[in-house]
Amino acid sequence: MTVTVAPSDATAVADSGLPSRPRAATGRRKASSRSRIGYVFVSGYGVLMLGFGILPALYALLLAFTDADGGFAGFTNFAKVIGDYRFLPAVGHVAAYLVVWLVSLLVLVVLLALVVHAIKVRWLSTTLRFVFYLPGALAGASSVLLWLFVLDPSSSPVAPLLHAFGFSSFVQVIQPGHLPVIFAIIAFWTGAGGWIVIMYGALNNVSDETIEAARIDGANAAQIAISIQLPLLRKWIAYMGIMSLAAGTQLFVEPQLLSQASNAVVGNDYSLNQLAYIYAFTQNDFNGSAAISILLLIVALALSAVFVTRGGLFEKD
Amino acid sequence: MLVAGLAACSGGSASGSDSTYGFPEAKQVKNSTLTVWVDATRAPAVTAFKKAYPKIKVKMVTYDGSANGSNTFKTKMQLFDRAGSGWPDVVWTTQDYDSAWASQKDNGKQAFAAQLDSGLIPSSTLKGFATGALGPCTVDGKVYCLRNDLAQNVLWYNKTLLDQFGYSVPTTWQQYEALGAKVAKEHPGYIIGTQGDPWTPEIYMWASKCQANDVTGATTVTVNVTTNECKRAATMLDTLRKDGAVPNVSVFTPGFLKQYTGKVLMMPGPAWYAGSIFQSSSSLNVPTGQLGVAAPPAWGSGKAVTGDVGGGTWFISSHSANLSAAATFLKFVTTADGYQVDLAPGYPAYSAAAKKWIAKQEGSKYYATSLQPVVDAADQIWSGWGSAQFSQEAIWAKTITPAVTAGKNIADLLPTWQTAIKNQAQVDGYTVK
Amino acid sequence: MTTLRASRPPRTGIPVRTRGLAGWSGRGILAAVLIVFVLFFAIPIVWLLLAAGKNAHALLVDNAFSFGTLQDAVANWNQLFSFQGGAIVGWIGNSGLYAIGALLITLIVSVPAGYALALTEFRLRRPLLIVTLVVMLIPNTALVLPEFLELNLVGLIGNPLSVILPMSFFPFGVYLTYIYFSTSIPRDLLSAARIDGCSEISVFTKIALPLAAPVVALVAFFSFVQNWNNFFLPFVMLPSSSGYPVQVGLTTLLASTPAFNPTAAGSESVQLPTLALATIISVLPVLIMFLFSQRFLVSGMTAGGTKE
Repeated sequence: MTVTVAPSDATAVADSGLPSRPRAATGRRKASSRSRIGYVFVSGYGVLMLGFGILPALYALLLAFTDADGGFAGFTNFAKVIGDYRFLPAVGHVAAYLVVWLVSLLVLVVLLALVVHAIKVRWLSTTLRFVFYLPGALAGASSVLLWLFVLDPSSSPVAPLLHAFGFSSFVQVIQPGHLPVIFAIIAFWTGAGGWIVIMYGALNNVSDETIEAARIDGANAAQIAISIQLPLLRKWIAYMGIMSLAAGTQLFVEPQLLSQASNAVVGNDYSLNQLAYIYAFTQNDFNGSAAISILLLIVALALSAVFVTRGGLFEKD
Repeated sequence: MLVAGLAACSGGSASGSDSTYGFPEAKQVKNSTLTVWVDATRAPAVTAFKKAYPKIKVKMVTYDGSANGSNTFKTKMQLFDRAGSGWPDVVWTTQDYDSAWASQKDNGKQAFAAQLDSGLIPSSTLKGFATGALGPCTVDGKVYCLRNDLAQNVLWYNKTLLDQFGYSVPTTWQQYEALGAKVAKEHPGYIIGTQGDPWTPEIYMWASKCQANDVTGATTVTVNVTTNECKRAATMLDTLRKDGAVPNVSVFTPGFLKQYTGKVLMMPGPAWYAGSIFQSSSSLNVPTGQLGVAAPPAWGSGKAVTGDVGGGTWFISSHSANLSAAATFLKFVTTADGYQVDLAPGYPAYSAAAKKWIAKQEGSKYYATSLQPVVDAADQIWSGWGSAQFSQEAIWAKTITPAVTAGKNIADLLPTWQTAIKNQAQVDGYTVK
Repeated sequence: MTTLRASRPPRTGIPVRTRGLAGWSGRGILAAVLIVFVLFFAIPIVWLLLAAGKNAHALLVDNAFSFGTLQDAVANWNQLFSFQGGAIVGWIGNSGLYAIGALLITLIVSVPAGYALALTEFRLRRPLLIVTLVVMLIPNTALVLPEFLELNLVGLIGNPLSVILPMSFFPFGVYLTYIYFSTSIPRDLLSAARIDGCSEISVFTKIALPLAAPVVALVAFFSFVQNWNNFFLPFVMLPSSSGYPVQVGLTTLLASTPAFNPTAAGSESVQLPTLALATIISVLPVLIMFLFSQRFLVSGMTAGGTKE
């Protein structure tokens, strides 16, 4: 089911055991027509990248360092934004959410992938993966709406569970202290399935003989998992961690909808992206908004760059 | 104030001229469709208008009415300003602070709200509103919106239950608190109010003359909530909440209905509670002849003051291409019997309609008492609580409600509340004293 | 290649057999974990499907997993489609327009770009590839506000293009086509064609394109799903309700649901089951694609070695 990568260029595949091939000879002289055609082919993409990747980032950078009249403002916008009484709480909220979410993602996705992989009954394994994967279709607003129902003790399908926790009203469920967990649950519910499927696919790369050999040597399931399977998944786990970290800092939809649905008990300035939105659209302060966007962009960029240069999952050519 | 004949001003005005109504008009297109933004509760107003004026084409768009400090109205209009087109012709908002920004230029772009008192709405209409009703709509002496209803707070009570239990209607807040203790002891499970809504401060704090929202100028506000006036209301609420007589629940939740239907002895609240809660089949649905209304309680022996909860406003867009139809709509929806008397759930801000509304309500024989306290309360609204560009309701909901749910006392939270109001006011450009 | 550790003495408390998973308690723990998570993932969806067929009262009072009635389902359907004059139809149409419009542009630019990155040489090739990798890992929400500020400058706010164009920028799609072309088309074939006198363009159209069907499907899948589910971008760019995609339209419905927005009690108000139905409809196209696309995900991921 998985497509293996056929190395043609210098492809250093993740250490699944395939030997890496030597770099193909690239001693040809570049024909100028071939060089030019390359530019033609990437021109469309290049325009889009310029227009919707690079230029917006540069423009936001410009706005972040200027003031409303266009004059140079140094770091004033950043100071203003960071000093805003809502900024540090928002950072705290996002950080708490990230911790809960990442830990649950890293632990549970790997666990579930291993467990599903251990099932030898084919239809069961397929069904399980399907059940885990399907919620991923409800991304964004739809899943938040669904979870609004699930979290309201008067309409929830798991009302007995909520009552067991002592919650008898919606307001009790969405107490500020619970929010990081709630958002993490929603994110996990939609996101975990895809990663489980991917990890499962990666686990399939381990040959059965290896595992059999380990079993014969007396290793139990846990030891096999730790010494053989986990190291294999390490790069995927790192990838999942970095991607989720980057995506999590951008939290917007969940608190925005929850704010609307809770009579403002959950404020509309819960996350950093919401704060940037408020600056732009309620306070008419584009420079402050750009400052927050740049901060978030820097975080995402740093994570991405670290992974691309050190992650080792991508080939370098 | 000019009194220009409206009839002479339909269609074909020059674009961009400040001439007739005090703002630069867009090119008028006769018979163009009117786009009206309302919330779900005001949808019957649009339907009634369509019935009364079948020749005017109306397109209705539903939105959240800017409820709970969502600021949707402001956000969307500013987006339209950037796009340069697309504004609706008429907008309803549940908040009473939108004129503060809508009357001003937005980053150099034309102000959204059309000035109404320069000929667009006849001054005879404007004079017909209750005293102070157009206060939230008036900026620098100019009127930018029309008030829909007055939401003055009164004391609603269930006369049947009260008689049955042998209680009398409290006339002071001290009596109210004592009654709560009695009810908790003799009839646990019955309540005399709620404190879980975002507008809780507008019912209890405002009536206690708490200085939480004292707007003293266009960009100045005084906030001091650690005064005795605020403390006494806070302590009362804490005591009543612990009794169970005034629970920390919101009246619009299914949980409230499940637990307290048939158990509401009384409830201090705005005039629109009548239509939206007591009489509503999807809410308490109190049977005929049981609901009575009394004057808002006073603190001690002084004269009673009260607060109000909303009473939204209607705006006309200065970019509208059909100002005459928009004006017709606004006049209809705020003054006409077809909506305000027949369908509106709240006490109309337009005095003539208000009289008829009271008469109709009393004529329906639904109420167990006269509705005169509602009329009287309209003049008792304390002027020390103004309307600023931020939502007190959102601040209370975010700061106090979760903390109270977690078990804290409002009296202890007063400094936190003060800081929260101050912070929000400052980011919205106010100087806080 | 990792080496095996020497076998250890069994851990206390966990009976160890040579075939650990065949043991009863091993299986028991396994099963318990699985059951908990199956319930966690499945209950909300099952509930949602059932909820769309109930009336508001039944939703609160009846058992969560009871079936509704056809009558109630029809009533909910009617309420949804009469809301604001059938606004949801417009919203779904918009979602389709934006998703497919962006998808087409994405395909048109990504396939040649991936081909060029994989199989031609030009000086900017490597920098472009690295930038693509880096930008690909940045969540697309990070660029929404900067894109708003930029499009505001050129006056495109409120225009469908303000949503379609940013969504067409899909570096992950380019990366997928790059990987695909570099692994599935032998270079010798290309050089043979060139020696035969084919121009670069006909090499692309006659050899690469016909072989590109699988990656086109792959990119189309990812692009469509991401575009359809995009919330933040259209939320920020499109002020007018008639321009909303269905995901943003859901917030209007939410605002008119009395259970969540108390001031919304009125004739246009939306009941909870109708909201549930709207939620289902809003994800239907993607849900259907997910039913058949698990294979895509795995092949895309492991072939490309990446995930968006």
